[in-house]
Amino acid sequence: MTMLAGVRYDGRAPVGEPVTLAVEGDSVAVVREGTTDRFPRAMIALDAPIPGIAERLRTPDGAMIELDATAATRDMFAPRGRLARLACMLETHWLPALAAAAISAVALWFVVTDLLPLAADPVARQIQPEMQEMLGHRTLASLDRLIAKPSRLPKEERARIAEVLWGFMEHEPDVAGYELQFRRMGAPNAFALPGNIIVVTDELVKFVHSDDELLAVLAHEIGHLRARHALRLVLQQSGIAVLATVVAGDAVGVTILAAAVPAMLLDARYSRAFEAEADELAFAHLARHGVSPRAFAAVMRRFADDARRREPNDPLMRYLSSHPPTEERIRRALEAAGSSK
Amino acid sequence: MSGIDTDAADAAADADTAAAVARDPTRAEVQAAAIVDGDAPAAPGSADHLHPFQFTGRTSVYFRIWIVSLALSVLTLGIYSAWGKVRKKRYLFDHTRVDGSGFEFRGSPAAILRGRIIALVLFGGIALGGHVMIELRLALIAVLILLTPWIAVASARFNARNTFYRNVGFDFDGTLRESIKVFLGFGAIALVTLGLAYPWFRARRARFIAGRHRFGATPFTSDVETGDFVLMYLFSGLALVACVGLFFGAMVIAAVMGGRAEPDAGPPLPAFYAVIVLLYGSYLVIFAFMRARTQNLIANGTVIGPLRLRSTLRTPWLAWLYLTNVLAVIGSIGLATPWAVVRLARYRARTLVLVAAAPLGTLMSAPRGSASATAAEVSDLFDVDVAL
Repeated sequence: MTMLAGVRYDGRAPVGEPVTLAVEGDSVAVVREGTTDRFPRAMIALDAPIPGIAERLRTPDGAMIELDATAATRDMFAPRGRLARLACMLETHWLPALAAAAISAVALWFVVTDLLPLAADPVARQIQPEMQEMLGHRTLASLDRLIAKPSRLPKEERARIAEVLWGFMEHEPDVAGYELQFRRMGAPNAFALPGNIIVVTDELVKFVHSDDELLAVLAHEIGHLRARHALRLVLQQSGIAVLATVVAGDAVGVTILAAAVPAMLLDARYSRAFEAEADELAFAHLARHGVSPRAFAAVMRRFADDARRREPNDPLMRYLSSHPPTEERIRRALEAAGSSK
Repeated sequence: MSGIDTDAADAAADADTAAAVARDPTRAEVQAAAIVDGDAPAAPGSADHLHPFQFTGRTSVYFRIWIVSLALSVLTLGIYSAWGKVRKKRYLFDHTRVDGSGFEFRGSPAAILRGRIIALVLFGGIALGGHVMIELRLALIAVLILLTPWIAVASARFNARNTFYRNVGFDFDGTLRESIKVFLGFGAIALVTLGLAYPWFRARRARFIAGRHRFGATPFTSDVETGDFVLMYLFSGLALVACVGLFFGAMVIAAVMGGRAEPDAGPPLPAFYAVIVLLYGSYLVIFAFMRARTQNLIANGTVIGPLRLRSTLRTPWLAWLYLTNVLAVIGSIGLATPWAVVRLARYRARTLVLVAAAPLGTLMSAPRGSASATAAEVSDLFDVDVAL
């Protein structure tokens, strides 16, 4: 016979009453002041075990008995759930916990680096062109509000560049229906927005030494459009937000987490992959139209020199930099130039 | 592109907030509706007995429960997460103690899984549908708004009915009809008045959710004042306006300075970082203020028969907890989550006191076989915890 001590709550009022359980064979006697109830052992359920919480028995009369000690009750009463018993075993010791941490880390890293980018591509393809255009124009509008100013390039110059780009976009069906925009933004730059919008700054037009160099920069941006990078980034960011909520949603609100730094670091990682992909697409595009990727290498080198002259080195920014190291990109461009000849 | 994204997220967040708010007071009251037994220290000059709440959970144990849940969830593609959630919740409830007894959570993982699938279809549909097609997104948002009253009632019921203290259960008696009146009716008034009536709506909502709970046979009553909510939102609104002003100032600085930098390679300026950090910090403080005030108002306005709650959450301390939690969670790539959960639970328990004017004997469980007890069985499908 085994004796267990506990407190019984009858379920009628929140009052506890000390009881003793006498377990003998298949019969259990619940002894309290003045009364003894007998139950078959099989009809008493033990809650699914969780480490560090009181063990509770439920008797058929609707009462709950909180046991004083987490003794050998699990052998005596059938706890609910085989899965729970396994989970409890894992949760009780440090070794499985460490294994769980390792598994989570590897699995989540795989999702972030491989699965999300893989999933984002087909989804990005499903997005209607009208929707993309709307997204692009919205972004352009907010740029206009914040930093962009109307172009001051002469009309003829803009027409000439449009003409050059028109020729460069011939026989490129997947980026047909593009839109060229000129803006003044204080720095030589070009970028691509969803809906095949290409924005060129006045400063870039002045910065390049030839049409080939301009086309090299634009080819890179067209590479972004072709691979739907802007949309894919948004989709991948949404995926990261969901993952962050899964991992840490209990601790800090989703709203707080939304601005979290790790997401930014992952963004930088995604961006680097996108930049490399856009470069490759650009080299192929240039080659199709008889422009040497050397022009790309030349303009990149001048970009780098220009930036170095203007800004002191900032190691954090270099780590966060959205572009692969310039030297690497120049090397690849020269490689592409070599092989296209 | 971020415009669309934000809109969809806002709508989803709104519905989520509805569910969360429906849950939140529940949690507060759940933790609160403890029943007094035996002799407790009497407050000087009054017949009330004070029973401070206590959180006795340990970070090391909770960490293991959490990490096992995470790993198994990832390995089962999220299915285990419902089981994991129940285990985490049971641990946290058990260690939320008042007068020596913990709470029990008896929710079924299957119901939680069902709720998560519903949430995933709804919110996922909006998030993806919003990117694909505008009409679809609008339709889904409309569906979500219409569903809000149901989500609020279903979640409150699910959480209340699965919470027990000393084997006596909580319940939520709010009906769908009332919920429609509050969320769609009063909500529409808040909308029509361009948010001026929002604090009033918020008070009505709190009164509905908190006031329709029950512990055993004892109904809760909620007497939160609209005026208190007006003051809270007024104060938060002013602070928010100041923050937005700060942000636009920062944008102007960034535009002026950024105009001279080469956007692709130029390092942002330390001043810009400083402004962002400051902005984020003030946002955190406002957030903590609203959280603290809301919970204090709702808890202090709740009466459960002879019992009252006294919640004394303080903004600076809560903001400090949020800040350090966020930093720790980010710095540890999420590993500090259980630590953050435990210290938040500790603080919330430490600031909550049950004030009892009568001993335990006056509270009883609901009679068995009563209408509401039967309804619990019938509406099993109705009871889902819709939350991600």
